[in-house]
Amino acid sequence: MKKQRSLFYPIFIFVLAQVAWIVIVLLWIFRYVASNIIYNHVGERITPQLVSKSANVLELVGGLVLMVTASVGLLLIFRNLTDQMKITGMYDNFIANITHELKSPLSSIQLYLETLKSRQVPPAKQTEFLNRMLKDADRLKNLINSILEISGLEQKKIVFNYEIVAAGPTFRKLLQDTAGQFNLSSQEVIISGDAPCSCVIDRNAMRTVLDNLVDNAIKYSEGPPQIEMKFANKAGHLVLEFRDHGIGIAKKDQKQVFQKFHRIYRPDIPNVKGTGLGLYWVKEIIKMHGGKIHVHSEGAGQGTAFTIDLPVYPTAKTRYINNLLKLTQKRKKIERGENEPE
Amino acid sequence: MNRNDFAGNRILLVEDEESLAVGLEYNLSEEGYAVMLAADGRKALEIYAAHPCDLVILDIMLPYMDGFQVAAKMRETDPQIPILMLTARTGLADRLKGLEIGADDYITKPFHLDELLLRVKGMLRRKQWYQKTSAANPVFCFGPHSINFQNLQCRAGKNEFTLTQHEAMVLKYFTDHVNTIVTRHELLEHVWQIRSEVETRTVDIFVARLRKYFEADPKNPVFFKSIRSAGYMFCVEPDNQ
Repeated sequence: MKKQRSLFYPIFIFVLAQVAWIVIVLLWIFRYVASNIIYNHVGERITPQLVSKSANVLELVGGLVLMVTASVGLLLIFRNLTDQMKITGMYDNFIANITHELKSPLSSIQLYLETLKSRQVPPAKQTEFLNRMLKDADRLKNLINSILEISGLEQKKIVFNYEIVAAGPTFRKLLQDTAGQFNLSSQEVIISGDAPCSCVIDRNAMRTVLDNLVDNAIKYSEGPPQIEMKFANKAGHLVLEFRDHGIGIAKKDQKQVFQKFHRIYRPDIPNVKGTGLGLYWVKEIIKMHGGKIHVHSEGAGQGTAFTIDLPVYPTAKTRYINNLLKLTQKRKKIERGENEPE
Repeated sequence: MNRNDFAGNRILLVEDEESLAVGLEYNLSEEGYAVMLAADGRKALEIYAAHPCDLVILDIMLPYMDGFQVAAKMRETDPQIPILMLTARTGLADRLKGLEIGADDYITKPFHLDELLLRVKGMLRRKQWYQKTSAANPVFCFGPHSINFQNLQCRAGKNEFTLTQHEAMVLKYFTDHVNTIVTRHELLEHVWQIRSEVETRTVDIFVARLRKYFEADPKNPVFFKSIRSAGYMFCVEPDNQ
């Protein structure tokens, strides 16, 4: 209801503006034609040199072009406005999700604290409760950190710690670390491939990317996950492929998964936790690295594959990447300067 | 904590946050309830179909099916099962949606343990009160209408329909207090067993619904009259009672 009403006004104003333009143009054409007829009939007899057809036509055409330009401008503003409104809508959604994500661990901590305060809990149970509280506190901390980091990323405040690495061993290690963090067994995750080349990456940011992708694969798989991670050097690009056998993504949703705050609601989704920021964050990080990320899924129930393309150093996007390295060095210098005793 | 009159009652706890579920299960078991745990909507309905229970504690954000859908399905088979909704959402719209679908009560995260346990007990007590009073006198007639408080079947003129548990409880309270002024707070305390921190609007919504069912012209009510700045009065002609 609210959404419909909030859309009604801009559309109404837009249509009104268009009608106004068209009426002006019609009036104008009418005036032009009318005065042209008068000129043709009368003007020639009075002052023949006043009648200059070509100039009048030019004026009309020029005027029409200006009108069309103004209309297109209006249309663009209107489109921009509706985009903004869509983002606002998604932002509301985000607030609801984030509230849920923040309140769940908080209520669990509160519950355990009140339990410990009001009951005689046996020591073994006490330890279990304390561990659960610590885990919830961690969850809160990670969530808050990721929100802060994303806002830093958006304001370009974060200069990553870029370095030149040997792609093969580095990515193998990163992938293994990620698998380790989620306690994935060797049946659940298969890491393969090699890439005898160099890349410029920030290890921590890349870990965030891989963690997010694995976390999604686990969240959106029914039962234990099955993840394949491959990496290879293809035509000057380091290609990382990330495939799971989870619930997949419908074709129509695939474009939107990287959008900020976007979340897909499907009745068969085994897990509803999330903020709609994870894949947005992933995409921004890859973009900062000069790379690209794509998603592919044959549809619901068919699993999902993410492909990351990173430029190989020093053959692709050299200028951009050298600039990244320079920025990192500059930051390091500033940090060193700050740390030196006065 | 005090001895619990309702020890042994079976509670179905539907919560997907493992940590919260375990903590609640522990506390409810300590209170003497028999707790069954479900981590998602589908599981909840499976358990619900297989095992009878006395009360359901239901989270809203659940995998596969949300709490609203689960509540609606449960109401289909048993309109009388008390449902306590547990949610992180605090918007009025969500609360009203929950109550409309047939949740009996609402508690928002993060909550106080004592409050939750009190509400659970309150709901079980209400259920007992309702069963006792309605068993003694199951059918009530007023004007051309009749209601069976046992199976919640209603007849308004020629129309036959089923009331939700909550609508029936509000109506029951009215029929127990015929021709006397009933305040909104009184209704909140007796039917919802909550203090006035919850908007009295909730009461108005339920009364509006009863009017829609039973009044020929809901704008000029004959049975469910508004008493200015006091509350409501359920008016029935003496010879009709």
